[in-house]
Amino acid sequence: MDINTRRKLFDILMAPRSVAIVGATSNPNKVGHIILQNYIDVGYDGEMFPVNINAKPGDSIMGYKAYRSVKSIGKPLDLVVIAVPAEATPAILEECSRAKVKSVVVVSGGYAEIGRKDLQDKLVEITRKGSFILMGPNCLGIMNTRARVDTLFLPTFKIDRPKIGGVSFASQSGAVGSSILDMIDAEGFGLSKFISYGNAIDIDEVDILDYLARDDETTVVIFYMEGAKRGKEFIKAAKMITAKKPVIMIKGGATEAGATAAHSHTASLAGSYQAYEAVFRQFGITQAKTMQDVMDFAKMFETQPFPKGKRVAIITNGGGVGVIATDALYEAGLELASFSKKSEKALRKIMPPIVNIKMPMDMAGDADDKRFAAALEVASSDPNVDAIMVIALFQTPGADSRVAASLINYSATRVKPIAVVSPGGSYTQAHRNMMESSGVPVYSSPDQAARAFKALLEYKEYRDSIR
Amino acid sequence: MARLLEYEKARILLDKYGIRSVDSKYLLSEKDAAKFAEGGNIAMKAISQKALHKTKSGLVMLNVSRDNAEKAFAELSRKAEKYKPYKILGQRMAPSGLEIIVGGRTDEQFGKLILIGLGGIYVEVFRDFALRVCPISRHDAEAMIGQLKSKSVIAKDAGSEHMLVELLLKVSKMLSENDIAELDLNPIILHDKGYDAVDLRVMV
Repeated sequence: MDINTRRKLFDILMAPRSVAIVGATSNPNKVGHIILQNYIDVGYDGEMFPVNINAKPGDSIMGYKAYRSVKSIGKPLDLVVIAVPAEATPAILEECSRAKVKSVVVVSGGYAEIGRKDLQDKLVEITRKGSFILMGPNCLGIMNTRARVDTLFLPTFKIDRPKIGGVSFASQSGAVGSSILDMIDAEGFGLSKFISYGNAIDIDEVDILDYLARDDETTVVIFYMEGAKRGKEFIKAAKMITAKKPVIMIKGGATEAGATAAHSHTASLAGSYQAYEAVFRQFGITQAKTMQDVMDFAKMFETQPFPKGKRVAIITNGGGVGVIATDALYEAGLELASFSKKSEKALRKIMPPIVNIKMPMDMAGDADDKRFAAALEVASSDPNVDAIMVIALFQTPGADSRVAASLINYSATRVKPIAVVSPGGSYTQAHRNMMESSGVPVYSSPDQAARAFKALLEYKEYRDSIR
Repeated sequence: MARLLEYEKARILLDKYGIRSVDSKYLLSEKDAAKFAEGGNIAMKAISQKALHKTKSGLVMLNVSRDNAEKAFAELSRKAEKYKPYKILGQRMAPSGLEIIVGGRTDEQFGKLILIGLGGIYVEVFRDFALRVCPISRHDAEAMIGQLKSKSVIAKDAGSEHMLVELLLKVSKMLSENDIAELDLNPIILHDKGYDAVDLRVMV
């Protein structure tokens, strides 16, 4: 299959106008039921065909006419989701192939991951001969928030579905996939596509990066991967996508032992995991070491403009946290900015005498929205400042919703990147939600914000280097 | 199975890409050793497919003068007996200096990789290295050096950084154009007059 056909089919898979769900049933405990239910819940407006081998003429499942087979639907479907046991899947896939189905998602497990490579090989063989593309097996499938497609077999009441946004997320592992998906919603940023690709017998990392690079609705990519199948093509796809948008990668298998015995110092230092890290670094992929870093980086990338350099201004309404934040900057490889003479003069006029106009600038516990807004305005126009970390402690007497509003107003100017650090309980949380839903990245501690700035700066430097 | 490339062949390969290594020759006899040492002190290394870690196997003698050369040759031959067949290589002693490693290997996923790091015997203790996929660009080479914790000692001024960037580009070209499974240039000694690769291990 040539690359253009493959791309066309991938686009259809991600926004199908007709879907059959094989294994659909009225029994609410079955995966096939949950998938059908989810399609209904998210408001999919294409054609939908439940398929169940036990269906009798005139039967319906959840209000939709039921079919005994894919073939009996009698039209070339855009997508077939197969949710029946592994043993039964090859025969159904054969049928899909004959019925000229365009794409297939096999959600069922029970293949190579449990030692049944023989069954998996059957799927490979049928797919290779067919004219469709296949996602899986052993995967959650796909979600497309705008096209209202959701093949996930996770009930909507157990896992929150994020709102519509620009972040797309691909995961080899279904478990990592669903937990990060849940976190994405909890962190309040919006999702464009979710792709869980499992054993990757056909569609793999390369296809997915290629698709997400071409997808204009995707502005930031999060990727969880255990291993690439096609190294050289992976590099090509990585180069293509990182030239357009950031990719945050979390790679499993850091501690795995090297597969080959090393004859040289080089081979013993540079194992296969190190090779992945080298590829990520060389081709502009941002590597995250923890799930928390993934979230922290994603919200920075999604909302903030690039910094020009590594000098970060710290504006705080609490002295101690400002000192910790300064340490965090250097720990992350950044620097504390210092105000220009002009800025110092301007600030001296605005700030009360109790405020020391030196970085990190402690505006004191009674700092209100006017002080925050004025400091942001000065820092924003100061040529010595590349990025701004605002520590807004809502426990203080001066801080209230008006402070949150002034931070939101500044973030909307998109002149310099901003990160807000607001640790705290329910009163703080209410303001965090307010700011995050307006596109201000908020962190619980300065080190998280510093690492996110650093990730943004490194990606910006990569983009500069390929220009 | 990868095998060690003959030392002289490895040296010719490096020469072809303009990568400097110390003057060397195979020593055939005690007299031959003494003659080679006339031009300045030498190192002697017994080279065998059976002993890939020469230092660990006690097959290296350093700073041998003309007067000691015959005795050293005899002693090394005795030690190397159990690693037969072997050859004894004489190398001109390089000036002393900081030791770095430049290496490479063929990764089954991504192909040729290139590495630079703090070298010598501490290489696996400090694990201070940078890695990239070949071929690398000048920007990549600069970023590799910039990534090292030991950057300020390895590339202490613009001149030495430039020299290392050029070296990395040459090694990258060599790795890309040849069938090399693993490469260790360890140590490469950095000294006042530039650098010299002192030990070469090319697995093909």
